[in-house]
Amino acid sequence: MAGLVLTRPIPLLILQSFLLAVAFGSNEVEEEFSEALLLKPLPDRKVLAHFHFENRAPPSNSHGRHHHLFPKAISQLVQKFRVKEMELSFTQGRWNHEHWGGSDPLSSMNAKPVGVELWAVFDVPHSQVDASWKNLTHALSGLFCASINYLESSASYAAPTWGFGRNSDKLRYGSLPREAVCTENLTPWLKLLPCRDKDGISALMNRPSVYRGFYHSQRLYLSMVDSGEEGVGSGMLLEQTLTVVLQPDDVSVEKHLQPSWSLSSLFGRNVVGKCVLAKSSNVYLQMEGLAHPEAHTLWKNAEFELSIKPDRTLRESSSVLFIYSIDKSSDSEPFDLGLTWKLPSKWSCQQAPLHASRFLMGSGNERGAIAILLKATESQDKLSGRDLTNGRCTIKANIFQIFPWYVKVYYHTLQIFVDQQQNTSSEVLKKINVSPSTDKMSSGMMEMMLELPCEVKSAAISIEYDKGFLHIDEYPPDANQGFDIPSALISFPDHHASLDFKEELSTLPLLSKFKDKSLVRSYTEVLLVPLTTPDFSMPYNVITITCTVFALYFGSLLNALRRRIGEEERFLKSKGKKTGGLKQLLSRFTAKIRGRPVESPSSDSPATRSSILSTKLLFKIILVAVAAAAWQFFSTDM
Amino acid sequence: MEETDSDPLNPTTSTPGTTPEFDPKTMRSSKPGLKRLLITTTVLFSFLSGLPFLWKSVEIYRSQLPFHDIDSLSDQIKSTPLRFPCTFHAVFVGFRSTHPDQLRSEIQDGVNRLTRRSSQCGSCNVSISVTVQNPDGHCSETLPSTCSYRCGVIKGDVFGAGLDDMVDESLDDVFSGCSGDGGEMYSVVVVNKEKEDEEVKAVVGKRRHAWIVGSGLEERYGDVVARVSEVFVKVFMNGGREDDSIHGEFMPVGSDGRLVLSFSLLNSDPRDWIYDWDFQRIDEGLLAPVTKALAPIADISVESQVLYHTPKSSFSSWDEKLQSYIFRTSDLPFFVNSNEWHLDTSAGASGRSKILQFVVYIPSGKECPLHLQLPNGEISKTNGFISPMWGGVIVWNPRNCVKDSESPSRNMISPQDLEKIVEVFLGQFRQLFGFKSEAIYTSELGSYKILPSERGFTEWELDVLSRKHTCFNLQSCSTTLGSLSRLVQSLPRMIIKDEIGEQVKYSLKAAKLAQSNASLGGYSSSASSSREARSLAENAFFHPSIMSVSYFSYEHCFAVYSPFFLPVAGHVVLAALREWKRYKQEKAKYLTWLTRKKTA
Repeated sequence: MAGLVLTRPIPLLILQSFLLAVAFGSNEVEEEFSEALLLKPLPDRKVLAHFHFENRAPPSNSHGRHHHLFPKAISQLVQKFRVKEMELSFTQGRWNHEHWGGSDPLSSMNAKPVGVELWAVFDVPHSQVDASWKNLTHALSGLFCASINYLESSASYAAPTWGFGRNSDKLRYGSLPREAVCTENLTPWLKLLPCRDKDGISALMNRPSVYRGFYHSQRLYLSMVDSGEEGVGSGMLLEQTLTVVLQPDDVSVEKHLQPSWSLSSLFGRNVVGKCVLAKSSNVYLQMEGLAHPEAHTLWKNAEFELSIKPDRTLRESSSVLFIYSIDKSSDSEPFDLGLTWKLPSKWSCQQAPLHASRFLMGSGNERGAIAILLKATESQDKLSGRDLTNGRCTIKANIFQIFPWYVKVYYHTLQIFVDQQQNTSSEVLKKINVSPSTDKMSSGMMEMMLELPCEVKSAAISIEYDKGFLHIDEYPPDANQGFDIPSALISFPDHHASLDFKEELSTLPLLSKFKDKSLVRSYTEVLLVPLTTPDFSMPYNVITITCTVFALYFGSLLNALRRRIGEEERFLKSKGKKTGGLKQLLSRFTAKIRGRPVESPSSDSPATRSSILSTKLLFKIILVAVAAAAWQFFSTDM
Repeated sequence: MEETDSDPLNPTTSTPGTTPEFDPKTMRSSKPGLKRLLITTTVLFSFLSGLPFLWKSVEIYRSQLPFHDIDSLSDQIKSTPLRFPCTFHAVFVGFRSTHPDQLRSEIQDGVNRLTRRSSQCGSCNVSISVTVQNPDGHCSETLPSTCSYRCGVIKGDVFGAGLDDMVDESLDDVFSGCSGDGGEMYSVVVVNKEKEDEEVKAVVGKRRHAWIVGSGLEERYGDVVARVSEVFVKVFMNGGREDDSIHGEFMPVGSDGRLVLSFSLLNSDPRDWIYDWDFQRIDEGLLAPVTKALAPIADISVESQVLYHTPKSSFSSWDEKLQSYIFRTSDLPFFVNSNEWHLDTSAGASGRSKILQFVVYIPSGKECPLHLQLPNGEISKTNGFISPMWGGVIVWNPRNCVKDSESPSRNMISPQDLEKIVEVFLGQFRQLFGFKSEAIYTSELGSYKILPSERGFTEWELDVLSRKHTCFNLQSCSTTLGSLSRLVQSLPRMIIKDEIGEQVKYSLKAAKLAQSNASLGGYSSSASSSREARSLAENAFFHPSIMSVSYFSYEHCFAVYSPFFLPVAGHVVLAALREWKRYKQEKAKYLTWLTRKKTA
């Protein structure tokens, strides 16, 4: 930035003859931004905080070029790669489906697999979808300081047909389970917000407290909203959410009480005012499973007490929502919502119909099996999403799983156990779509739809695989750590999660989001498969040893070819009387051992010969000693 | 196996009595065999003949680059600076006794004097023609006539009466049929008025015309000629800028010939006030003509954004006398806050495009109004500054600096204010390209009024830009190709893909085309083909494959092949040598035996 040049005062005449025929104050719909924070105490003494930012751009032709609130970078991305819908999530930690909920909108949308997950639907011809995906991964990896570009290779992503819950043939899905998520990913994400973390609710995102949590998932969802008009581009909706599960510092003496907390104790910061650019700026507190009857209406009751009076209170079948607007807060009067428990309270969250987990079976570096276990949850009976076809009550479950190519799955070994009884596939398995992997070219994908009876206790699916061999330069750094198999996605197509507060306030961005019916889905664990890892210096060792063997063979062959046997025999014969130095040495040695005088083989001057030999011997011994010492010196020096 | 004390092959040697002269140590009776020597030499030669194949197998693919053409291009560009043909036409109206040929030689002298020092690249090869029109309407002109100027079309009384813009238009009509012999034609009309005591007025139009009007010009005829040649050289040829005001390398155009103008409106503290603009209309109304005019030089795209919470990083102080906050020119290097100003490189700009950032900074309530104080103590009228190759900053103060009550709402910057901002921006933009924005150009001989164009750049300025840009592009293309060829020649184990070879070839082709276009006088066509040449050269130089020098280095080659070839080669060579030595020895023995036998 050195060498700044001053503009001289310019009595500019350029535009004098040119009047601006611009009429301002158009009645166009403007870009809108809104922020919200949802707080929710969890049954296992933790607190969930869900930040929700929504940025809407109306339909326009100038997307990617002129923006007021909407981030230009994202808009340009959309324009350049013709993205129709996209979701990118960065997650650290695993969502606890049992304690933190499995079938409410919050968990079905924000419980994400560990690492990075990206899916996108494109608005390009079929042949260009893969190229667009590759370019998009590169652009995103630059934008978010993450190695999303590893999803570029065709062996790391898949094109789900129906198992993912979105029926589009222009959809691509990929995930990187090992991506570490930290502040360098959060900062560019915050940069997309008009207020960044300078003001408003996002000012709460104190990095140490956010990353100290048990679960952390940062998500970016983008979708195009068709205007329906000809000649006008489509509008854009950008949804950015950050979900963290925090453990409040427990200061109370009584162990059976839920911990009390406040915003400042959770985050170490306060909200000192809304982001002035936000259309709405609200904080919600959701309480579930309240036992006390008056707790449903009062913010100060026998069970708990809130530090600030809510602006509104909304009720839903199983939960209460307190709504706060943070407009009035200021530097002198920060908004510091606190919750103090007075009575011990116990409740459970809404569970998904089946709890899914996945594990590896088998041992050794050659083959193994993957098993997915679906266990019935307690809350299953309460759920309404059953399908009563043919008088039978069934639960439908879609399983979507990607296998990397080096896990060679044998699809014929697929076995399904229902309540520990092996089941012939056709009974339970309604639909299956398999695309086998190609070595080094594409990953395998399995989509299956199960229809389980409602009274099922557990169902297990197992499939066997062989471990493949990778080429030496395909191994990642630290290959001994093992290879990750991305999470499987279990979704329940007949179950939908929604929270409807049946109020006009449901038009608020976060509440309207909750009102939308979303598919109940859960991700399984990431599996770690140890593959045989070679010694990476092996190629050179192999080269060296084979070359040496060949050289030896070649050399001895050549020597054998030019050997003169007759001549050598004659030579030996002539030398028969005088033995070689070594032989003589040996005979002297044996003689010494036996205690007999040396029987000299030849009559001529044995004394002089032996003296020469001994100096030679001495020299040899010294040479060997020096070599050994040198070897020792250099080897220890290394 | 030692052959030193080998026994003779002849079994009869044990009975030396038969041939008493025979000494088994020094002679032999039979011819030495060639079998083993043949075997070892065959093996050795098969090894040697295998070497080229091995060499071929480890060879790296290198596309052939036209090194010779690259060298000749750079030599040519270095030795002969690129010159464009320009035709200057001077029309003297109302001159009685002046002869056109004499005028022409005098103007030629003046032009030569002025251009003597500046023989830099991108200037003109001047050809001059002069027409003199009597007050009676009779004309005489220099031959060959380059222009179908119809005598008597220009009337002396038109000038001075009407507006300058109208004069400019009418001159354009007059000279519309004219075309120089290659290149653009520039004309200066000198009108000698009959009336007395009229001041001399010189105007440079927006097209390629200038006129000097006054009375009694015929008497001051030497002055007039000097001014005419000055207009030709200083304005039309050099664009009214100092020779070294801007160098080619500071031309703010990306090496792929693209330029992104990124406009950002920065609300430094939205809690005080929020301003928004309707930039799309500015883009369509005001910037589109400018980008269109500059199309031969750069492919320009425009984008805008509004950012919030973007304080500047330098401090300002309250000045009681000026009743405003002041930042000084010494603060300018610290004004741009790269930590908080997320101006962003544009995803729309690919690869090597140039991005120029134009920032409108709205100060917060704590530092409003904010003004730039010039070193002479005055307040800058534009309240902005540029940073070469980066862009420009304009500080815009909200009217009255009154805070919004309670919650700030979004205000729109009024169209009048926006117009002013765009004016300043255009001035900055011109300055980044090296042009001044003053309406008066002053030289030693007098001042000229310069008519501004609504497109930001007048036609003669665009011509200057095209010429300079072509020259700079060709220079940059030749240096890039030159360094590529040096790099390629210095790294013998670098893979060079065919694609690079193609790009180099096309780049050379485009450079040739630009040169020939330039010699024919096609300004914009040579500018665009030179742009292509430069971008192709840069593409070749920055081709992704060129960055990775092959991992298959000599060391690697040695490490892989030496465990086999070193010991084997040792065996083979030693065996061949020994066999050869032995053969020679044995043959010598045999020969001595033969001579002995002969003598015996």
